[in-house]
Amino acid sequence: MSGTLLEARDLRFVRRGDAGPLKVLDGARLTVARGEVVDISGPSGAGKTTLLRALALMQPGVSGDLLLGGRSAAEVGPREWRVRVALLPQKPVVFPGDVRANLRAPWQLKVRADERVPDDDELRAALDRVGLAEVALDREAVRLSVGQAARVALVRVMLTAPDVLLLDEPDAALDADSAEQVAQLTAKFAKDGAVVRVRHQRPDGVHARRLRLSAGRLHGVGDSD
Amino acid sequence: MPAGSTGWVTVTETAGVVAIGWPQLVLSAGFMVLVGIISIRLSLGIEKDLAIATVRTYLQLFLLGLTLRWVFGVDSPWLVLALMLLMIVMAARTILKRAPDAPPGIFGSSVISMGLTGFIVTFAVTGLVVQVEPWYRAQYVIPIAGMVLGNSMTGIALALERVFADLDGRAEELVALVALGATPWEAASPSVRKAISAALIPTINSMAAAGIVFIPGMMTGQILAGADPLAASAYQIVVMLMVAAATAIGSVVAVMLTFRRRFSPDGVYLEKGIRDDEHALADGSGSI
Repeated sequence: MSGTLLEARDLRFVRRGDAGPLKVLDGARLTVARGEVVDISGPSGAGKTTLLRALALMQPGVSGDLLLGGRSAAEVGPREWRVRVALLPQKPVVFPGDVRANLRAPWQLKVRADERVPDDDELRAALDRVGLAEVALDREAVRLSVGQAARVALVRVMLTAPDVLLLDEPDAALDADSAEQVAQLTAKFAKDGAVVRVRHQRPDGVHARRLRLSAGRLHGVGDSD
Repeated sequence: MPAGSTGWVTVTETAGVVAIGWPQLVLSAGFMVLVGIISIRLSLGIEKDLAIATVRTYLQLFLLGLTLRWVFGVDSPWLVLALMLLMIVMAARTILKRAPDAPPGIFGSSVISMGLTGFIVTFAVTGLVVQVEPWYRAQYVIPIAGMVLGNSMTGIALALERVFADLDGRAEELVALVALGATPWEAASPSVRKAISAALIPTINSMAAAGIVFIPGMMTGQILAGADPLAASAYQIVVMLMVAAATAIGSVVAVMLTFRRRFSPDGVYLEKGIRDDEHALADGSGSI
């Protein structure tokens, strides 16, 4: 580990609940170092997804301070922040078109106009690494199974090489073998960056610092191997 | 005030124009009585709406006739402009009703897009095509403004209803795109394109069918009023093209002015779950 990559201080978020205002985040703080995997668990409705969205600057109404490599979110700017701190939503999303178009979608955006678009060989290799060797690049994305779509979405965001990857239950839709491949890929990614995962499942072999979100704050519950 | 056909029965004739008197007006209501009986027998449950609509048709069109007679008599540019403004505001209110899913605060955008369309297209037609003298002559400006505003209102309402429904249908895709660094325009543009095309399709269809499947309303009116059919068709061509232009300009301006309201200031798509959260949005301009 070498230094703090992502830091969140005093995150607060109030949601309208059935019995009045609900403090979903109540002064939550989190520090993630380069090379680290952080797993966040907690009861349903505790605000885990809200926390991930807040870290990606994707939850309007959250107050607090966010820093990436010592620079504030305001300094970095929302678009650049989301490129560096990439959120993969829980429900896998595929865009219209084939798998190739899906994987290249991030480079259709202005924010990556100056970057090189990955070629077919790179896309192929990336799919092979997550057990999608049988999925052709010109397969229509709507014909992927849920588990395949989840991995295509993961490969898509990993190819953009963010600093921090925010994964919302990345193995929820996967069988044991695919989950294993995704876990290995996640661990490999974390060598250069950092990963924050929301996870319910038992430890998956990835060395991770485990935190629990309850009453709007994060509490350490030890490490997992 | 879209172009509509008039005249059901012929009785008196003066200088090539067949006028309709009170007995004929009453007689024409007979058809509505017939439809009412059918509705009752088939339990359609539309008798009440039908009756109200019929009464409104009589009242509104007579009032319109009286108003226009008065406006044509006064012949003031200010009156013409004031009437156009009133029509624009009424149209914007109708748009709000027809696009209930649209985000709050689109009344202003509707007025702006209706106003731009109304003034540009109306005066382009009266000034450049028909070459009306003086420019504000109510007999030309008001009916043409009515057709321009009526049609662009329909187009704008359809486009706004479509764009926000389509955005919500793509909510998960929009979240994923924004998470990858998309701007609101990059995320929303497929929905914007779809909505604008949807708004234009009825107009394009009616342009393609005009003269083959039906005689357009304004041309019908002119022919019934004794005009030469060829002169009437020339007018109708201008009107159809102007209606297409009005629909296109109106819906493009309206959608471009409003789609951004479904995104937060820093570009996050406001899904149903988020935008309903008043606390979330009220509490937190936040320091992030």
